[in-house]
Amino acid sequence: MLLTGSVLLSSCGREEEDNDAIVLRVCNWEEYMDLGDWDEEETIDLESGDILGVNPLYEDFEEWYYENYGVKVKVEYSCFGTNEELYNMLTLGDEFDLVCPSEYMIMKLMTEDWLVPYSDGFHDEEAENNYYVRNVSPFIKEKFDGHEINGESWSEYAAGYMWGVTGMLYNPDEVDEEQVNSWDCLRDPAFYRRITIKDNVRDAYFPAVAAIKRDKLTDAAFTSGDDYAQQLEAEMNDTSEETVEAALEFLQDTKDVAYSFETDSGKADMVTGKVVANLQWSGDAVYAMDQAEEDDMYLAYSVPEECTNLWFDGWVMLKRGINGDPGKQAAAEAFVNFMSRPDNAVRNMYYIGYTSTIAGGTDGDEVYEYVEWTYGAEDDEEDISEYDLGWFFGDEEAVLEAPTEQLSRQLFAQYPPEEVMDRSSIMQYFDTEANARINRMWINVRCYNIRKMPVWGWCIIAVILLGAAGGFALSRRKKNYEL
Amino acid sequence: MKYRFSRKQLAIPYALFLLVFVAAPLVVIVYYALTGSDGTPTADNFIRFFSDPNTLGTLLYSLILALVTTCVCLLIAYPVAYALAFSRLKASSVLVMLFIMPMWINFTLRLTALKEILTLIEGNLAFHPFLNSVIGMTYDFLPFMILPIYNQLERLDKSLLEAAKDLGAGDAQSFIKVTLPLSMPGVVSGIAMVFLPAMTNYVVLDMLYNSTYIMGSLIGSYFAAYDWHGGSMISLILLALICIFTLLTKSDEGQKTRGGSLV
Repeated sequence: MLLTGSVLLSSCGREEEDNDAIVLRVCNWEEYMDLGDWDEEETIDLESGDILGVNPLYEDFEEWYYENYGVKVKVEYSCFGTNEELYNMLTLGDEFDLVCPSEYMIMKLMTEDWLVPYSDGFHDEEAENNYYVRNVSPFIKEKFDGHEINGESWSEYAAGYMWGVTGMLYNPDEVDEEQVNSWDCLRDPAFYRRITIKDNVRDAYFPAVAAIKRDKLTDAAFTSGDDYAQQLEAEMNDTSEETVEAALEFLQDTKDVAYSFETDSGKADMVTGKVVANLQWSGDAVYAMDQAEEDDMYLAYSVPEECTNLWFDGWVMLKRGINGDPGKQAAAEAFVNFMSRPDNAVRNMYYIGYTSTIAGGTDGDEVYEYVEWTYGAEDDEEDISEYDLGWFFGDEEAVLEAPTEQLSRQLFAQYPPEEVMDRSSIMQYFDTEANARINRMWINVRCYNIRKMPVWGWCIIAVILLGAAGGFALSRRKKNYEL
Repeated sequence: MKYRFSRKQLAIPYALFLLVFVAAPLVVIVYYALTGSDGTPTADNFIRFFSDPNTLGTLLYSLILALVTTCVCLLIAYPVAYALAFSRLKASSVLVMLFIMPMWINFTLRLTALKEILTLIEGNLAFHPFLNSVIGMTYDFLPFMILPIYNQLERLDKSLLEAAKDLGAGDAQSFIKVTLPLSMPGVVSGIAMVFLPAMTNYVVLDMLYNSTYIMGSLIGSYFAAYDWHGGSMISLILLALICIFTLLTKSDEGQKTRGGSLV
């Protein structure tokens, strides 16, 4: 445990200056909040007004909090690289008040009783500054209300920040959409050494399970069942020995077909044309598509028909940091609300490229306007389609007129259509035993199994060993003779 | 009492460094390797390593990769070192410089360049993972093989060669009977400097998209899966292998290795 630790703390930390202010220690993903410093030309001119990031959002928060509540807050902003790293930092004794892990880590933290629930005041829709409860997308709210740990819903402990799905980023010049509409494509010999998968056990296990259970998951009787969503989630979180065993086989096939197990190089390899398909998170896919377009290359994104992994990152307050201090908790909750104000949500979306959980509406239409501003069809566009975003914005009139090509590009990745979201499933946090089983499976995928060694391999080794032993003995004898 | 400075005290910074960054972590590794997740002493981790076909396979794969890399390095390095040591060029030190210079550039940067070159040659990098790994490792470790051999050959007493010639030995014979045996300390130290790191240098494999684990990445994957005990045991086994290897080469060459290492 001593080996991995708080490595990245120093890189983006900030000095504390004020002594009498409330100190709010926030730990977030790297590059996961608008840090301002935009060019003048980057101004987003929406109907509701211009949006321009000048200062880091957490500094704007300090100012806003003082103006609204008359209390000085100092935000100590730091970053982490992975959920596991954050968890290690916490277990090693680092103290934070507000952190932003992914859904499965939130589940783990809830189970292990690390968290402080949001106060009743936070859920009050009438309070002036409660931007989160009023503006969060009904879709996200339903997911947070509908999932429980130990009888308590996620909503009591977590507030959504960004969300997305997993899917396949592909090059439409080389690949038909049908070729990547099943997760089985990850081991399709047609993609021999031209497809990449994530080098991360959770991101690899999910598509493996989906591909193994393909027949069941795409069966009409299954998909039209009353409790389809629950059934799907149960299937996708299956960690039984047989499933893990089958996943091992699937991923070993994948290893023989894939170009690489990548952590971050997949996007670049798509743009340079080294690979033609790439398992990708929707947010990174948007980024890759933007990058490729600068080189006049048009990539596309699709979600296989079995299932997609729906993920969230959310703000949670830590018991050890808040430590029963009501002033601090009020500041932490206000911080979440400030991030959820629609114009600030837009700033974050623009800066990070991921999709905010905020839909807006009550306190401003900036988010929808921003989507329209980014993807809406120009007047002279010829090929236009209607794209229904009502499921996310909770508004039947939220139907966007977008260029048809966007229906398989950034718009699709950023806000997949409702029918895709219907087959989305959250990946739970697994218990210790299941976790150990899956981790072992993942290591075994990558190891060379000695049982696979052919006979001639053993013969060569025997010859080498004999040769080495012989040479060694010979050199010994010669030396004795010399002496 | 008056403070007196002795030469021994010069070693204090190094001793401290050793204590904090080598000795102490080693104790932690040994502790983790020999205990189970409940903290009680156990040999389970050891048994697990030697009964799992996957870990054994990884050990074998690493050994073979390191062996092939070492052979390739040796085959390339010896003639180069020989040519450098015996060249009549006044500028031979410049040539040696040319071989050391790549080491001034960070090797992940060099690998990034190598990746592009290999892609250009092979069309698709992922077709030959093992070959690429050998090339990458050779690229990385070649100077470590050339320099010890070169140093050894350069120090070689040229009068011995003249004597061999006087006594009627041909070029080939004097090479086999005189030059080769006398250069062995350099060769052995070169082998040690290439073989051992090559078993764990997983960055090369990662960067050149060989998705098979070697010992280094295996340890990393155990730690990533929070299996501190299993990972520590593998580290310990690797350490034992290194010790055995060092002892073997040392006992063979004894005192003759005089500063046969780098520069």
